[in-house]
Amino acid sequence: MMKQPSECSSALVRSGNRQFCSALLAGCLCFAVFGFGLSLTSVIAADGDIPAGLDKISYPKDNPPDEAKIHLGKQLYFDGRLSEDNKVSCASCHDPAKGWSNGDRFATGVGGQVGGRSAPTVINTAYQMFQFWDGRAGSLEEQALGPIQNPIEMNLTLEQVVAKLNKIPGYREQFQKVFGTDVTSDGIAKAIAAYERTVLSGNAPYDQFKAGDESALSPAAQRGMKLFTGKAHCTACHAGANLTDNAFHNVGIGMDRDDFDQGRAAISKLGGDTGSFKTPTIREIARTAPYMHDGSLKTLEDVVEHYNKGGIANTYLDEEIYELKLTDQEKADLVTFLKEGLSSKDYPMHKPPKLPE
Amino acid sequence: MRLEQQSMILSIFASAVAMMALLSSGAIDQVAAAEPEVVAKNLDNPTGVAVSPKTGHVFVASHAGVFRYDPASGNVTPEIVGYPTDVYGKGPMYNIGPLGVAFLGDDHLVVGDGSRVDLEELVRVYKISDTPPDSPQKETDAVATLGPFPYNESTTKGEGNFYGVTVSDSAIYVTCNGDDTKGWVAKAQIVDGKPGKLELAIATKEATGVDAPVPITMSPNGNLVVVGQMGEINIPGDSLLTFYNAKSGKMRRNAKLGLNDVTGLAYAPESNRLYATDFSWLDTSKGALYRITKVNSEEPKTRKVCDLDKPSAIAFDADGNLYIAVMGTAKEGSDEAPGQLLKINAGDL
Ligand code: HEC
Ligand code: HEC
Repeated sequence: MMKQPSECSSALVRSGNRQFCSALLAGCLCFAVFGFGLSLTSVIAADGDIPAGLDKISYPKDNPPDEAKIHLGKQLYFDGRLSEDNKVSCASCHDPAKGWSNGDRFATGVGGQVGGRSAPTVINTAYQMFQFWDGRAGSLEEQALGPIQNPIEMNLTLEQVVAKLNKIPGYREQFQKVFGTDVTSDGIAKAIAAYERTVLSGNAPYDQFKAGDESALSPAAQRGMKLFTGKAHCTACHAGANLTDNAFHNVGIGMDRDDFDQGRAAISKLGGDTGSFKTPTIREIARTAPYMHDGSLKTLEDVVEHYNKGGIANTYLDEEIYELKLTDQEKADLVTFLKEGLSSKDYPMHKPPKLPE
Repeated sequence: MRLEQQSMILSIFASAVAMMALLSSGAIDQVAAAEPEVVAKNLDNPTGVAVSPKTGHVFVASHAGVFRYDPASGNVTPEIVGYPTDVYGKGPMYNIGPLGVAFLGDDHLVVGDGSRVDLEELVRVYKISDTPPDSPQKETDAVATLGPFPYNESTTKGEGNFYGVTVSDSAIYVTCNGDDTKGWVAKAQIVDGKPGKLELAIATKEATGVDAPVPITMSPNGNLVVVGQMGEINIPGDSLLTFYNAKSGKMRRNAKLGLNDVTGLAYAPESNRLYATDFSWLDTSKGALYRITKVNSEEPKTRKVCDLDKPSAIAFDADGNLYIAVMGTAKEGSDEAPGQLLKINAGDL
């Protein structure tokens, strides 16, 4: 909950200058080439196969999961042919080998255009009420067609992508089998979303420790976990099974810039949401550097240092962000917890599937 | 920010509204609208209501202090004044003072405060006379003062914003909105009619994963503490209704209400029906009073009784009439505080 004893400035007047960012990033942006290894093995979490520590997934009524659909979605996810130059796939920017993110500060699009936001992980997006840093999309289905159409990402119209995929017999057959139609944009969205809901990470040492296995965490990580829920105050926002409250907060990132990103306020139009971003999951956080919506923090040490100093002061800073006064030892322990406690040995290291001809 | 500006901001942009519609729960169905009567006006952000079991006078906590409404005469008089002031929210923002009120016995009023910073906030108990005093009591005239909660192991940033208060035969319970990692309900045992030390008792955030316990009441048999969790103010539909064993503090039941920001909770006498208000911070046009049905099931349902403009608290009198505090929205160009005390007669509920 937010409370801030400070003057109420004209929030609205200031909003808007970074709106271009959300508009441009309507999908995502990046331009990267993904080398497809041809592996046939695929580990797919079937319904009911949810890693320990995570909640049940609520599937949309009109898109229940099934094996053939998930398999189709996986091919689409890894297929560069969903882009104009046949090179950019979802996996280019959300790469299993890079924590299902891309390892870069910003996603870079066609012609070298650089956006202002970092690519979030796809892991556990199944649990999110909102997609994107500013939450402008609700469901994964709603999100999936965005990047395909974005001119500086995959840059195809829906008609183009549908026509293109309809020329690939392997896709037509699968769409007929799964949806009883030729390739449609609705089917593309549903299949990709169904696949994304299998990209889960749970059963981390943290979960095992909570379930009673005291040997699951090293003493340093245990100390760090105590700080996480105590003095360091992280569970004010990173709480629940997916370590997020699914809400939006200004934690003082990028707020020292004149043209700072308005974040959630551009969508909600609430002054109090200025500079607020969705609390991300921090499961598998060791793999997804750099951090924050603008990729401005390179390491987890930097992240902890940021919170320790109480973020970058600004009118809209969340009241749960304040100087923590952690000692060097405590900072190190907290980082150890984040790295060791939240990295699962069952990391979803999906391999690109064989793509249909 | 002035209230009229806030409401303008809220109404200019339809996108938030559209999102709410998208996400609003199917569990809500509407019944014939009751028409509340305005019994007191010009209140400054009222947030708490309590009815004296002895006189039937209604006490309202607001930014400007605690007021008394006498239903017989219709008079509204200041009862307790002189609190500091604090601000709630980041835009919209609300000036707040004392927040929650409840009666302890026949003639003591427990006031949960929100007028200070988190480490310093207090719960105060005042002796209340049968008739309005000639001049109001001062904040510091309390016969007992509970708290504050400074930093310690249980609360890393201290507690504060004591929004809701309820009193059972044996204890005072207060919801706290200071520490978002624990979301405490504090409890003070009552011994010989006097409150003991106020202690952090139920960590609602740890129990439910959701922030902001706000309204609180006792179940009709007094065995359960019933807590509404408002959840995040910028997230729709995340409010919870949670029942805890009054003695042990163990969670008994927890369910989504389908409301955006639950603020008031009260059982009607006799019928024992449970009512709730939804402030609906993100889209205040959705503010309303609801009756909760299937209260004891895994999936309680809500039936709308009437729309309300930023309702913040409810309380029944002994005859089953319902009093509702609403923060309201100022008319354009008006300097008058827009808060009101409303009444719905027992027969209209
Ligand atoms: C060019 C790089 C790029 C490509 C290609 C790309 N994305 Fe993204 N993706 C991003 C960026 C950047 C964001 C964050 C944008 C924002 O929040 O404004 C994002 C956000 C997301 C999110 C929201 C995650 C969250 O936690 O909010 C999902 C889900 C997602 N992308 C899935 C996909 C899918 C599916 C595809 C393929 C159809 C895809 N992306 C293609 C860069 C990319
Ligand atoms: C007030 C809520 C809040 C608190 C408290 C909080 N976080 Fe965050 N956290 C967020 C939000 C919101 C973001 C995204 C912020 C942005 O990008 O501007 C975030 C981002 C992060 C990230 C980067 C995730 C990524 O994928 O880039 C890490 C790591 C993180 N937090 C760890 C922590 C730790 C450790 C603590 C305690 C010291 C903490 N957080 C406290 C809300 C919070």
